[in-house]
Amino acid sequence: MSLLDDPRATFADLTRPEGWVLGVSVAFALFLLVAMLTGALGPTYFLFLVGLAGMYALLSFGLNAQWGFTGLINFSVAAFFGIGAYGSALMTASSSPIAGGFNPLVGLVVALVVALVLALLIGIPTLRLRTDYLAIASLGLAEVVRLVVLNERWLTNGSAGVRGIPGFFQGWPVLSTFPEAMPGLRLVVIPGSPIILGTSFWQSLLNVLLVLAFAGVTFFVLRRAHQSPWGRVLRTIRSDEDLARALGKNTYSFKMQSFILGSLIMALAGVFYTHLNLYVGPGDLDPITTFYAWVAVILGGSGSNRGALFGGIVIVTIREGTRFLNDVALPIDPAPMRLLLIGVVIVAVMRYRPQGVLPPQRELIWPSAVDGRATPETPDSGVRERKGGGGDE
Amino acid sequence: MSEGALPKQDPVLRVDDLQKSFGGLAATDHATFGVERGTITGLIGPNGAGKSTLFNLISGFYEPDGGTVEVNGTDVTGMEPYQVADHGLIRTFQTPRKLEGMTVREAMLVGPRKQPGESFLTLFASPGSVSESESANLAEAERILEEFEIDHLATQPATDISGGQMKLVELARAMLAEPEVLLLDEPVAGVNPTLAKKLKDQIRRLNEQGTTFLLIEHDMEFVMDLADPIVVLDQGHVLTEGTPEGVRNDDRVIDAYLGGGT
Repeated sequence: MSLLDDPRATFADLTRPEGWVLGVSVAFALFLLVAMLTGALGPTYFLFLVGLAGMYALLSFGLNAQWGFTGLINFSVAAFFGIGAYGSALMTASSSPIAGGFNPLVGLVVALVVALVLALLIGIPTLRLRTDYLAIASLGLAEVVRLVVLNERWLTNGSAGVRGIPGFFQGWPVLSTFPEAMPGLRLVVIPGSPIILGTSFWQSLLNVLLVLAFAGVTFFVLRRAHQSPWGRVLRTIRSDEDLARALGKNTYSFKMQSFILGSLIMALAGVFYTHLNLYVGPGDLDPITTFYAWVAVILGGSGSNRGALFGGIVIVTIREGTRFLNDVALPIDPAPMRLLLIGVVIVAVMRYRPQGVLPPQRELIWPSAVDGRATPETPDSGVRERKGGGGDE
Repeated sequence: MSEGALPKQDPVLRVDDLQKSFGGLAATDHATFGVERGTITGLIGPNGAGKSTLFNLISGFYEPDGGTVEVNGTDVTGMEPYQVADHGLIRTFQTPRKLEGMTVREAMLVGPRKQPGESFLTLFASPGSVSESESANLAEAERILEEFEIDHLATQPATDISGGQMKLVELARAMLAEPEVLLLDEPVAGVNPTLAKKLKDQIRRLNEQGTTFLLIEHDMEFVMDLADPIVVLDQGHVLTEGTPEGVRNDDRVIDAYLGGGT
């Protein structure tokens, strides 16, 4: 039933929420394209936004692997994000107070290892207990990490942050000089407002390719994991941990795996952010990042990878889209406006679609095991939606 | 040693001098009994006799204060539930556990133990072996659903079926875990008579195929008809054990149920 084999059947198989989300996404993409062609939206800035959307998608993927799959309540998304960002920044930056100057790939590995250690440290004492304890511990952890970063100047530069971070592809053959080597382009779509594609555009393009690679691999890994017996045990734990234990599953081990997987993905988002922003400061560890990731996952539909992706994009749209409201005279500032909008969206979703916009739509069985069997009729709505909502406590 | 328990030739489960207190209450008070391989053993007793506590102690959900539990000759006292399950003991719960967002056959597929696809690395290192076992498990799940005559529910959401059907699914899923001894906690509580009869037939059939059962049940007619021997629990210890006939006519049992002196 792949898109290439039989496009019409694929579209016919879409459930209604899928159709809606697809339609809205296409319309939104067209809108952005038009905005870019008319010069209202700078192409370099657009690519920056795509990078940011990819980053939020990664954060949501990470949280979805913990909360959506297993029901682990992690309030330290920002901490793991920050560990990823600082880990890679401190390893690669010229102004790093410790090592510094390493290849970004080294930074990536170090960041992931540190995140892994932190996940183990917080997971070992709490994951044997009820999920509430992880929630409490992670809430504290986020603040501890932030304050350590702010105060331990010998390690992190404190409030000054870390500057002089290279792009991710520095030191790579071809790619490290790619932005300079590309010619500047000048496109005229509408007379009078030319679009200029210079070095910074090519640099941003590289970043977007990087985040697409990160997010793409993550999505593939999570999708396969979600459909597997492994993911099924996680979903059983989410619904009823005692049942999983009674059926012979080592739930502590499964919860740990899920927690580590999610934490690594969040750190990956941080690594990307470092090389996108080229500056990392303690402000990047503010709890608002955790909040955004939770909003994205709940909005998209807990447990759904596509939902997490969708939620991440919505968050960036609201966060960055409100900047354009500066031009329009409004009674409130864009900053509080942003939070207000997010609040309104959350209230609306909880009221009309408590299961999220795009919760898992189909049963999750290892695909090749179901192929060739009589597949059930595609329901009007997803499996998860018929339970009458309100299931996500 | 409790006087009530009968000696066993080939016990698949042995509980010896098991104790558990909650505060000042001795919920399990030096309980000793065994479950003979191949039997359907009933566990009855008035409310508060400690039947569910005993189940939780045996299956590893509670840690006993003293005494031992042996499954298949291995001492499993103090082990985690999953380790007890690994030794061949599976249990179900009094209230059916719902798996939200899963279809019935998905919920069934949680049952099989030691699936290769439960290892994260295998998913990527050896997807072929995952496909193979998943296909086999799916076929097995559908076969068992058919035997239970609920195959028409296979693709229904697992939360949308009736309480009695959930009990059937739970039993069917437990069978996928291939237990040597299966502990059922009130298999027909809140189930309509037709489904209860169906459950009884299924338990009997599975027993004939070699699974040993230990079941708690309040429905006397059900348990007397199905189980032999029957262990009677009162105030945390084994009052007596015997055939349904023997138990039914035992004055001490009647006293225990009527709240008479012990």
